[in-house]
Amino acid sequence: MTDDDLRAHLRRADPGASLPQLPPDRIAPLLEHTMAVPFAEATVTPITTSARRRRVALLAAAVVVLFGVTAGWALLRPSSGPESTAGVPDVQLPAISSASVTRLTATGMVAKCMEPTAELLRSRTDFAFAGTVQEIDGGVVTLAVTHVYLGTPVDLVQVAQEGGASETMLGSGKFEQGGKYLVAASEGAIRICGYSGEADAPGLQALYDAAF
Amino acid sequence: MDVRRARFEAIAPVVIDAVRRYLARRTDAATADDVLSETLMVCWRRLDEMPAEHLPWAYGVARYCLANAERGRRRQARLTARIARLDPPPEAVAGPAPAGPDLTAVLAEMRPEDAELLRLWAWEDLTPEQIGVVLGVSGNAAAIRLHRAKQKLRKLIERAGHEESTEGSRP
Repeated sequence: MTDDDLRAHLRRADPGASLPQLPPDRIAPLLEHTMAVPFAEATVTPITTSARRRRVALLAAAVVVLFGVTAGWALLRPSSGPESTAGVPDVQLPAISSASVTRLTATGMVAKCMEPTAELLRSRTDFAFAGTVQEIDGGVVTLAVTHVYLGTPVDLVQVAQEGGASETMLGSGKFEQGGKYLVAASEGAIRICGYSGEADAPGLQALYDAAF
Repeated sequence: MDVRRARFEAIAPVVIDAVRRYLARRTDAATADDVLSETLMVCWRRLDEMPAEHLPWAYGVARYCLANAERGRRRQARLTARIARLDPPPEAVAGPAPAGPDLTAVLAEMRPEDAELLRLWAWEDLTPEQIGVVLGVSGNAAAIRLHRAKQKLRKLIERAGHEESTEGSRP
């Protein structure tokens, strides 16, 4: 059986071939919806201890950002716009022996936000959890995870919190020792805009319950 | 910003069509809608990183978003899994009776990694180099794995064909 025969065989079982094209009147709103989102949340890549190759590449990218190389930041996020130029502080994360730690960043940038909805919380989040701040040390907040709503289950999450973080999270605006938080992240960066904050911030728990 | 918008608007229709098909081949309709929206969002945000040959790159993004969505879904109640089973990805439309064995069943029998290589090759029509971009491996590695997967598929098709001819077609 030649390659061509094999491919012809496979194509007969292709469930995607018969899918009709999306009409233009459905493409336009989809594009508008996509481009309308002011993605103020800075983006860095997640670090997990998985040995997968992709993760290793992401780790390298995240380390570059976490060490505050401004040029690296600009390179990684050339599209983040003038309002999100607040960099990540030059912090070195302490080594942690636990097998499951996820590291995130939080920046104090100014954000233009749409009203948070459960749908947007779910669709644009790749990691969401409830946790209690265990330690704040040198700009690094360590949270003990009490519940993972979405994403890889981990025990601890470390957040590189910008020194003078402006009030970007619901509630007090930043992580405080012993506080309980609901945190949503997208690609390693905490989502602000009403999606992360103190667990008892009005409406936040309900938003999480509705989304996950 | 307008340049970015114009570029995205130029690229997006092709990406949307390709990614919709990619997702329709791999998941249920509701998940496909969610993941398409998320994939577009990532493409929009990372437009500057998007290579000239954007489809393999976009498939790679969709693959990542789909894996995320499915990880999240696995954690949801069993009910969701049950619904997903009741609402599976669409089968190929009943056209002229296919000659030979049912490839959907044969693919399901294979290792998921091998089946995925074959799908990317035959359904998304990608070269080994492009498959490498989607999977995050070198073109060379993709070529070797694809070659092996094709050999395995040939054997399975031969075996299925043989079973059919000795046992007769099952109803």
